[in-house]
Amino acid sequence: MFRISLFEFRIYREIMLVENIKAEFNLYKNQAEKSDFFLKREEAFAEFEKVGFPTTKNEEWKYTNLKNITNQSFQSTCESTIETELMLSHAFLKDLTANKLVFVNGSFRPELSTIIETDESIVISTLAKAKTAHSELFNKHFGKYAPIEGQGLNAMNTALLSDGAFIYVPNNKTITNPVIIVNIADSTDVNVLCQPRNLIIVEKSASLTLVETFYAVGNNPSFTNVVNEVYANENAHIEHYKIQNQEGESYHNNFTQIFQEANTNINHVTLTLSGTLVRNNLHFFMNGQNCNSLLYGLYMPHGTELVDNHTRVDHAFPNCHSDELYKGIMMDKSVAVFNGKIMVHLDAQKTNAYQRNQNILLSNEATVNTKPQLEIFADDVKCTHGATIGQLDEEPMFYLRSRGIPADVARKMLLNAFADDIAERIKIPELVELLEQEIEKKI
Amino acid sequence: MLSIKNLKAEIEGKKILNGLNLEVKAGEVHAIMGPNGAGKSTLSAVLAGRADYEVTEGTVDFDGKDLLELSPEDRAREGVFLAFQYPIEIPGVSNANFLKTAINEKRKYQGLEPMEATDFLKMMREKMELVEMDKSLTSRSLNEGFSGGEKKRNEIFQMAMLEPKLGILDETDSGLDIDALRLVSEGVNKLRNKERSFIVITHYQRLLDYIVPDFVHVLYKGRIVKSGDASLAKELEEKGYDWIKQEVEANS
Ligand SMILES: Nc1ncnc2c1ncn2[C@@H]1O[C@H](COP(=O)(O)OP(=O)(O)O)[C@@H](O)[C@H]1O
Ligand SMILES: [Mg+2]
Repeated sequence: MFRISLFEFRIYREIMLVENIKAEFNLYKNQAEKSDFFLKREEAFAEFEKVGFPTTKNEEWKYTNLKNITNQSFQSTCESTIETELMLSHAFLKDLTANKLVFVNGSFRPELSTIIETDESIVISTLAKAKTAHSELFNKHFGKYAPIEGQGLNAMNTALLSDGAFIYVPNNKTITNPVIIVNIADSTDVNVLCQPRNLIIVEKSASLTLVETFYAVGNNPSFTNVVNEVYANENAHIEHYKIQNQEGESYHNNFTQIFQEANTNINHVTLTLSGTLVRNNLHFFMNGQNCNSLLYGLYMPHGTELVDNHTRVDHAFPNCHSDELYKGIMMDKSVAVFNGKIMVHLDAQKTNAYQRNQNILLSNEATVNTKPQLEIFADDVKCTHGATIGQLDEEPMFYLRSRGIPADVARKMLLNAFADDIAERIKIPELVELLEQEIEKKI
Repeated sequence: MLSIKNLKAEIEGKKILNGLNLEVKAGEVHAIMGPNGAGKSTLSAVLAGRADYEVTEGTVDFDGKDLLELSPEDRAREGVFLAFQYPIEIPGVSNANFLKTAINEKRKYQGLEPMEATDFLKMMREKMELVEMDKSLTSRSLNEGFSGGEKKRNEIFQMAMLEPKLGILDETDSGLDIDALRLVSEGVNKLRNKERSFIVITHYQRLLDYIVPDFVHVLYKGRIVKSGDASLAKELEEKGYDWIKQEVEANS
């Protein structure tokens, strides 16, 4: 009898994306020159073949099911359409004086990019170019921070990365204007897979303001799988902002590893405005004393969107400070996951680590799964964590209404106030303004 | 202006107002006194429209409108202002922005254009002087980190800005030292006029030395059990509430 059982059909579907990836890697393998870089990718591919995509059986992925991604076919492409240009014409921060690197479907688009930095010792370029033009730096840092072992998605990125930004700020230098990495997934013609890979190196006493923006255009699904490696040498200062605003059926996984040497100061803000499924993995490793790591996030999913923030802060040396605050405004049937891990290593005395996750449910059907995790192996530390999930408070609502402010306006004011704790961590005024507008629009 | 008839209200099944009657005419100042737990704050909350309280009987007419039918914001925009006994802090909402929104929402309700920014600032400056409010307070978040006295002054400042027809002051005197009390009272006195009425709720007679009422009522067990002129407050100050309680018990 000719019949595919439902079970067989399901198995077939689940290997769809895996098969794409394998085919793509084989294609690449046949053309690639056998460099160190190639070996690294081959190794990553082997790891990917071994571990595959994470499933909900994995504790770290318990609430975030990737089956809608892995069940589908996606392909890497450098094609883009007019939609991309339309998107760029109203992209966030379009008028901000900044260095802009535009990547469409993971490929660099020099004609859409602008570099205004004039200091020749500063590099604002692409990974593809840096591989040869700055091979020493590239080899020293690439793949050194974002782990591959057991991390199927990182392995997949490493094996098949398209391109990405390469930023190098030498000792004592400051990039005057922010660097914006604009990522667009254009799925107008096909289901598109984008795998940006950024390498950011900020040397001693240097500083950088970095903004990553993500958009999606087109009616087919897109899957963006990003890996960022950020290296901050002693005394470096980095302002790092992520704005995720991928509309339509778009899936997003982001792994950012920040490696901090002593006396570094990193302020990281993740704004998740839109995306069918957004998973952020933000890892900080403090490799010296007196580091300051600030992690802030705001998400406001609607419809059936899922936003998952997994963060990890490794306090490996004494006298470091970390502060983390993630806030969620939950609408409709959306789902949020927060998992914040703070690891205070044995020697990390005098650690100050704070973590909070606060959520407001604007709908009875929204769900939040929150799990703060402290693992402390030192004894002289100050660590706190806490999570709240609740409705908008009645008391302030009544106070505002009792002064003649209608309920909907009052609600907006209070949600803006709620988001304000995150907005005030953003040091680009245009970005703060933009956030306010987005809140206005979303609520 | 305000006519409360046989008002009964409860919270979580607990009866708190038990048939309260009160008539307030334009320009009058009525003091409501009474022991703790008598239902004074409940009365003010019911008038302002707090949803936790259920009105089970009675009517409240405000300038020809059925007040109980209106949302809290519409009551405010019709001219009811409640100065809270315990003003809450709202971090992230600036005082100035809050007031501007409140004033412009009221103007919108009245079919007026939003106020010009310069006019608004001028008005703020004038009204701040009224209660000697520190300028720095307006740019801060609403009541956040304000002292008890600053919070109360902010209530009166808001009242001055919103220019209500009826101001209800719920124990505005509590927690104030004598200087702050004088300031707040003077602020209120300057707002008194032929059209504007006040209901001044207080536990102590002290406030009424400054804001001299036209009428004094005693609220006890959810009803007004005694009414008189300003001298009644003096009598209560001397004799306490026990004789009133006894009178009520004797009559029931
Ligand atoms: N939210 C509430 N839930 C239950 N009982 C309440 C609540 N608010 C007030 N009450 C009760 O109602 C009564 C009147 O309170 P209140 O109006 O605050 O009195 P007053 O302001 O005169 O001191 C008190 O017995 C008080 O305990
Ligand atoms: Mg009271």
